[in-house]
Amino acid sequence: MKRIILVSTICVVAFVVLLPFLWTLSTSFKSLPDVNTYPPEWTSVNMSVRPYIDMFFYMPFSTYTLNSLIVASASTIISLCTGSLAAFAFSRFQFAGKRFFLLVFLLSQMLPGASVIIPLFQFLNAMGLYDTHAGLILVHSAVLLPFVIWLLYGFFQGIPREVEDAALIDGCSRLTALRKVILPLALPGIGATALFAFLGSWNEFFFALILTSSDATKTIPVGIGLFVGEYNEIWNQMSASAVLFSVPPLLLFALMRKTFVKGLSAGAVK
Amino acid sequence: MKKATPYLLLLPALLFTALVVAFPLVQNIINSVREVSMVKGVGKWIGLANYTHVLHDPLFLLSFRNTLIYALAGTLLALLIGLALALLLNMKIGRITTIASFLYTIPWVLSPVVAGFAWKWILNDHFGIVNYWLSSAGLIDVGTSWLGNPHTALFCVILARVWQFYPFAMVMFLAGLQSIPQEQYEAAAVDGATTFRRFFHITLPNLRPVISVLLVLGVIWSFNDFNMVFVMTRGGPMNASMVLPVLVREFSFVYFDLGKGSALSIMTFVLLVALSFLYIRVLSGKETA
Repeated sequence: MKRIILVSTICVVAFVVLLPFLWTLSTSFKSLPDVNTYPPEWTSVNMSVRPYIDMFFYMPFSTYTLNSLIVASASTIISLCTGSLAAFAFSRFQFAGKRFFLLVFLLSQMLPGASVIIPLFQFLNAMGLYDTHAGLILVHSAVLLPFVIWLLYGFFQGIPREVEDAALIDGCSRLTALRKVILPLALPGIGATALFAFLGSWNEFFFALILTSSDATKTIPVGIGLFVGEYNEIWNQMSASAVLFSVPPLLLFALMRKTFVKGLSAGAVK
Repeated sequence: MKKATPYLLLLPALLFTALVVAFPLVQNIINSVREVSMVKGVGKWIGLANYTHVLHDPLFLLSFRNTLIYALAGTLLALLIGLALALLLNMKIGRITTIASFLYTIPWVLSPVVAGFAWKWILNDHFGIVNYWLSSAGLIDVGTSWLGNPHTALFCVILARVWQFYPFAMVMFLAGLQSIPQEQYEAAAVDGATTFRRFFHITLPNLRPVISVLLVLGVIWSFNDFNMVFVMTRGGPMNASMVLPVLVREFSFVYFDLGKGSALSIMTFVLLVALSFLYIRVLSGKETA
């Protein structure tokens, strides 16, 4: 009896919790007349993938997708290259100011975007980088860095020092040891970090909104975020784009739940 | 050479951080005490005039109040729901809890833009499912607009925010619950303690470090949060749900008053630094405990 109550509670809660997403999912397959009917229905006879096709014609969704892919990939590569060097320094060297630098990175993660956005806007404008991929990549790389460093630092710490010491005794330099011994061992961790960095840039809204203005550079969240105000009538296509946009994060979460949870709370409880 | 190696390794990361975080921050402080315009750039020194302008703007007080409500109410609610769900999942009644913990975490995984969009859509006055249910049950009139009503708009945004943040609390609480030594419960059972007493005398005290970390982090993150309000209401209707990060954008990129925007963002920043120090104290307190 107790078990039945518990199981049904769990199921009801799951439905309530997923309601906004389920309703969006249902809308994304409906035709516009079916969306705008009262009373609203969960299903209708003529549900189809039409909105998923239409949105590529009515909205510049393919351009947005390309922009998001370019910005997220480049930011991931840049933040990972610079971040892994820093994480290596933190995990393998003792040096003056180590605590201070770690704190700088931890705090820069807490910094509100609003407190740097105006000078950033002025700076990018002056450099001719406002409303360009390069400008947004520069900002995203820096924004991702603290997170990347914290994650990699954790992974590097998990690699026993003895392995590296053996390489050093064999006559490797510190950097060769990093390249030939540590990096291969840390590869799973680096892969996971890369995926999180990619997602971080993929989902980022604030900087992308303010530092882009034309369709040629806007990313998907900017497109969706602005559509909500402007194209109120095409709820089905907007739902379709929201669902499609959510596929990478959901897929990643489903495939690597444990690492995902660890990753998203990294830096929070260190 | 040996001594310089770690610093050389840090250099690229520090350069990036300096360029995108440190210099803009310093520049922003300079902006905030000068006349700044989109066209003419940084002008003459005007002292704290930008700050007094902000302080005299009724929008500032309103947004400040809203931001506090948003951060505190949102965090507290998310913590309560997170704790309740963690307790539910901790019952360990087989595979279903594993699946449930996966499903319950989904809102956290979605982009805030998608979350805001989805909430705006279920709360839609005519075609949203929530309004339909509530009006069928006779609780509200058909076509009640939650987001268009100045009295309910902020509350709706808070709900959406809670929806995105509770899974984080839930995951942390679940980890906390699983690390509580089982002997404590066994001892309590021997003493014949009720479920109620066990919760307040064993579970809650053991979760205290997790609660304080979550409280501070939740308040910091919500205080900073621009996305949910912008996507759902843009601060409206009639600024009823305006929060500080959205107001910074409004001052700077809608009214093009960069000086006022800078002053406001510096004020937000100072508040946040204070909160961050609290966070670090909570963290280091946890280490010694």
